Amino acid sequence: MASIARSSLLRQVAAARPASSPSLIANAARAAAFHTTAKRSLLPPLPQKIEGTVNDAARVPPPSPSHGSYHWTFDRLVAASLVPLTVAPFAAGSLNPTLDALLCATILIHSHTGFQNIIVDYVPQYRTPRARKALIWGLNAATAIVGLALYEFETNDVGVTEAIKRVWKA
Amino acid sequence: MIAQRAGTTALRRLAGHPNAFFTANVAKFGVAKPLSTSQARPGVQTEKISNSEAASLLAAQRLRRPVSPHLAIYDKGQTWFGNSILTRFTGGVLSGSLYAFAAAYLAAPYLGWHLESASLVAAFGALPVAAKVGLKTLAAWPFAFHVVSGTRYLIYDLGIGFARKTVIKTEWYILGTSIVGALGLVLFL
Repeated sequence: MASIARSSLLRQVAAARPASSPSLIANAARAAAFHTTAKRSLLPPLPQKIEGTVNDAARVPPPSPSHGSYHWTFDRLVAASLVPLTVAPFAAGSLNPTLDALLCATILIHSHTGFQNIIVDYVPQYRTPRARKALIWGLNAATAIVGLALYEFETNDVGVTEAIKRVWKA
Repeated sequence: MIAQRAGTTALRRLAGHPNAFFTANVAKFGVAKPLSTSQARPGVQTEKISNSEAASLLAAQRLRRPVSPHLAIYDKGQTWFGNSILTRFTGGVLSGSLYAFAAAYLAAPYLGWHLESASLVAAFGALPVAAKVGLKTLAAWPFAFHVVSGTRYLIYDLGIGFARKTVIKTEWYILGTSIVGALGLVLFL
């Protein structure tokens, strides 16, 4: 309707609306009516909080190779070394105690860093610092317990690979 | 379009040469206002506010902004059922089972449980065949999927296989390989 009468028509529509409150909050509430996206309560976000002003520079964490590229490379080396260790028992039928212990230790490190990645991804430090700390230390404790348990299993029982094989063929 | 321009031109001419008859009608039909160069925004008021008020208003607006990008806006085939999250899920299930079993194994002597390999073998052997196949499948598919998909991610890390078509194709290959591999582990091993 690109016509010369357009703005006058719009003015009539605007005039027909009830007069709004003069405060800024009332204007914001009216603008909210234009937000038509449906609300979904799937994984609702945590309440947001404001720190500082919008003009503050972004905080840059101190660079640390052990949290960066070294960590990444270490993760990949552990994952890659698991490939032959996983294939070996299928090829050889079972594993000798040394290789079995090596497999258990590598799986433990792989699991530990994997759980760490999950915590780091879903429990952000800036928003839930206490939960983050609790989970990281809880994971450390759990990994220590599992390491001890695997040691016990390796020394007192038949070894993980052999145990899985026997259960599988039971 | 041309008719409208003609109308505008006529109105401009009128504005230049006032004429009692036309000017009266222009006012009556409410078309004189478009000739004005100022804009009216009825219903929207502006206020002078101080700097601190502006800052607190901005903070209030920031608290109300939506979280983005939110998980719900993406295609479920890429988020909930994509290879990436399935690799994480299967890894979490496998490692979680290992952690749970290891902790239970350590606690077993104090709780009177029997989790030594001999009693596990005896307990598993006593199950009906359907339960055996079901439990083995529950263990074998996550294992097979995590192995195959994890290897693919190691190949990604070498910078190989990032073409869009390759990504889509390999996702299906990985799903198929993991199902076939899991069935092979359950039925032929």
